[in-house]
This record gives sequence, structure tokens and C-alpha cells, in this order.
Amino acid sequence: MKMPDLSYRAALVGACESDLIGYPGGEERTIRCTSLQLHIEAIKNVSEYTGIPISEIDGVFSAGWSSELAEHLGIHPSYIDTTSVGGCSFQIHVRHALAAIASGMIDTALISHGEAGWSYRGMGGRGGGGRGEVSPAEEATAAYGIAGAPAQYAHSMVRHNHVYGTTPEDFAHISVVTRQWAMKNPRALMYSKETNPFGGEITIEDVLNARLIAWPMTLYHCCLVTDHGGAVILARPEIARTLKSKPVWVVGAGESMGHSNMVEMEDFTATSAHRSAKMAYEMAGLSPTDIEMAMIYDSFTITAGITAEMLGLAPRGRGYTLWKEGHAAPGGRLPINTNGGGLSFNHSGMYGMQLLVEAYRQMSGTAEDGVNGDPGKQTEASNCIVNGTGGTLSTTGTLILERD
Amino acid sequence: MAYDKPIPRQGQHNKPFWEGAKQGKLVLPHCLDCNSVHWYPRLICPYCHSDRLDWVEVSGEGTLYTFAVQHRLAAGGWVQELPFVTAFIDLKEGDRMQTVLRGVDPNKPEDIKIGSKVKVEFEQANDDTFIPFWRVVEQ
Repeated sequence: MKMPDLSYRAALVGACESDLIGYPGGEERTIRCTSLQLHIEAIKNVSEYTGIPISEIDGVFSAGWSSELAEHLGIHPSYIDTTSVGGCSFQIHVRHALAAIASGMIDTALISHGEAGWSYRGMGGRGGGGRGEVSPAEEATAAYGIAGAPAQYAHSMVRHNHVYGTTPEDFAHISVVTRQWAMKNPRALMYSKETNPFGGEITIEDVLNARLIAWPMTLYHCCLVTDHGGAVILARPEIARTLKSKPVWVVGAGESMGHSNMVEMEDFTATSAHRSAKMAYEMAGLSPTDIEMAMIYDSFTITAGITAEMLGLAPRGRGYTLWKEGHAAPGGRLPINTNGGGLSFNHSGMYGMQLLVEAYRQMSGTAEDGVNGDPGKQTEASNCIVNGTGGTLSTTGTLILERD
Repeated sequence: MAYDKPIPRQGQHNKPFWEGAKQGKLVLPHCLDCNSVHWYPRLICPYCHSDRLDWVEVSGEGTLYTFAVQHRLAAGGWVQELPFVTAFIDLKEGDRMQTVLRGVDPNKPEDIKIGSKVKVEFEQANDDTFIPFWRVVEQ
């Protein structure tokens, strides 16, 4: 099926974070954020940033929160989307909002995320909403003790190592380079030893010698778990042109999924991002060689490595080389995860919103710390591919954004 | 000692699987139209979407598709077993199952070879539940 060309039919007109991010209240948790609070802070911020009053938002998109948010805000949205498919939900919300705006059903869309990953760690999250029934797939795999995302994703790295002759050390370069970006971002949790005892520069040896979480992945192959909220507003071009904030155009968008439970993942070295990316490239009329910047969900180093391959930014089996050879690093030809990523910036559980916020900052030329950490210096990249991965390497959403 | 690890729920939809397991047999859903077996049990064949399904005993043989060694995270009584090797098994008859892998040393993961031949075995968890696990039999 040929996808309709919805390029330039809507723009991201603002993307803001919640006031509190990271580990508010520190190790002692003297403050406990709620997920709702993180949503509302970010929504207030993006409304002020764009000048669009909350009362004028007509579509509400979130990973399961839309009715509660609309009620809390006292608004009556005419388009409601609660797509909750893990960390890529927000890329997919942008695509759905683009379709809703292009069809003429709404003018403005709010996409919101709040997740108290740190404040309520181990106490049961409210990320996407749960259910009492257990699926047949969960029943079939429950006996085998696998708990948590790293426990699952490690199987993918072992398979990648086997098929392509890669090593955990190859993937360690992704941690090291992503940390270099975090060291240029004062908002990043791992900015320095002062912001966190584990912060500041790390080496390949540090990654390899850190404590094992799920062999072959050590702690530094794994993302952070923090509090974070973010909100973006999408608007039709006629509105986007009149705002005080700068538009960033959605020129390509795609979504796809592979499986829900990892036992159904066909090839542990590939995700559905090759399909979602193909849709996005076709809509944008671009190919991987045209891409100048990338925001790639790095829940684990293996996620980023594989996704770079799926997006066509590197050949199969060689995604890690973008980091190892310095292309993805500060000063490289293809900056990737310029905020310090889920690995070293912030990661609330569903990181896709942070990908969007950073992509907007870079493409709108409003990154206060600049692309290379130099105040006032902005990226020269004219486009950015953004790929979220949700579940256990399950569902993907790909966007291609372009500066105005 | 009582079995302290998670025991899967049983229901109508997977009864033949657990009945088979009790007798030391691996019994899987099978499609009468396209002749494929699948796991986990579906209401519809995931390959041809037929609803004409029955159950067949399969060989209990497979190969190791991939694995990992759990050092930190585990569900229920598995915490006491850390580190342990988890794995995905490609069945001789097609499709894939998950397991805790037996016959391997979690402290020597470099000695575990993808593609190794594995065989199913069953461990009693309670009167009605014999849980399948896979063991490396030949590298």
C-alpha cells in the first residue's frame, strides 16, 4: 500500500520538559514526583513556550493518560488517542496527530508524557496502564524467571555477537560516546561526577568492568531509570507560522511492530524499524545517506546499534561502527543522541518523549547548550531521524524532522 | 523442598500441554490446515489463520537460538539461583520456546554455543504441573 504524502502538513511548534527531571529528591527521595505532576509541568511549559493556551488544544495524545489529563486540565478534546506501546508511543502519537491534522479534524495536538520512573521505582509504575488478565504468551514464559528489560535484551546482543562476529566491547563504544554528549549537557544526570557519582567520563574498560546485569550486558550497557516528563504541540502550518516559537516540520513518519512477547521475535538482530523507517523515508523523499542527525532510542547499547542498522544508517551487523569510528560523537558527521541519551541523560521508562524534545531543540536551533556544548553554537544539520523502540524490541515509530 | 519458582497458570486453552508434560511429553498446538505447530497456544493458527487446531506430541529436540546469563534480575524463587542461563530454543518442528537452560555453567558463558543441540526435560512443580526445561546435549 502506498502511504499518503503528509510531508509539511504539520509542524512541531514546541517541545518542553517537566520542571523536575532525573532524581528529584536524590537517593533519599526527599521529593517524590508523581507521573501526573510531570505531565502537567511539561504541558504548562509547552503552552507558555508556544503561546498556545491550554484551552485551545483540540487533540490529546498520551500513552494511556488522555482522559485523566483532559479532565485535570478541564478541556474537552475533539480527538483522543491513548496509544500505549512502550517507549515509541510518542513517535507514533506524532504520526497519528499528523494524520488527524492533515485530514482537517483538528488544528492542534498535544502529546504528553510523565513518568515517575525514579520516585516510584519498584513500587509499580503508571506508565501505560495494566490489566488483570495474563496473556497466553506471558503464561508460557512466566516459569523461566526472566524479569525486567535488560534480562530480555541481553539475548539480542548474544545473537548479534554470534551472527555478525561483534563483541560486547563493540557496543561499549555506544556507552562511551553517548556519555561524551552527556558531558556537554548540564541537564544530563551523568553530566559530571558532581551531578552523580557515576557521572563524567567513562572508558571502554569502565563499561566492560562494570557489574554484570545480564551477561554480556553490564550496568553501562543499560539506560538510566529517572523521573521525566515532556510535552510537544503539533499544529497545522497556518497556525505554526503565526506562533512565537519556531516550527520543525514533520516530513516523514512510519510505524510498525514485530511482536509483543520476545518469544515471538523472529530475528533477534532486527526490529520492525526497517519497516517504519521505509515508510518515513518514502514520505520524506529521502534516503539514509541524506540524514544529518539522529535520535535513536538507546534503552540498551544493543537497541541503538541494531536500530542504526534498521534505519539504514549503517550496514547490517555494523551499526556500532557509527559510534566506534566517532561519526556519532561530538564533532562527527552524524551526531546521535546529542542530549546524552537514555544511557546518560534521562530515561523514565518510556524514553520516546525525550527523543522528541531533543530533536525539537536541535532542529529549532534552540538548544541552549548548543550541539557541541558551546553556548550559542547550533547544529548545522538540516534534518533529524527520530526512532523510538517500544516493548522488548517490539514496536517502532520513525519520524523524519526538518528545520524550517 | 517445595517448588518456589513461578508456576504457570493452567486453563482450558493449554490443558493438553500440561497433561502431556505430566507424562514427560512435549505436546503443542498443531494446525490441521497448514500442518504447522506453534507455541504459545493460540485461538487461531498464527501462520494460516485457520481455527482447526489440535494437539500433537513433538520430538522434544531443538537447537539453541540465543541465551543470556541473568546476574541481577529474576522473578520469584529464581533470585536464589542467580546467576542462571536463560535461552530461546528453536524446535525441530519449527517455532520457538523460552527456557532456563540446563547442562551449562553460568560462569562460563563463552563455552555455551549457539546452535547446540538441546533436549526437553520436565521438572515437577506441584501435583499437576511438570515444567519443561531444555538441556544442552551436544555442542
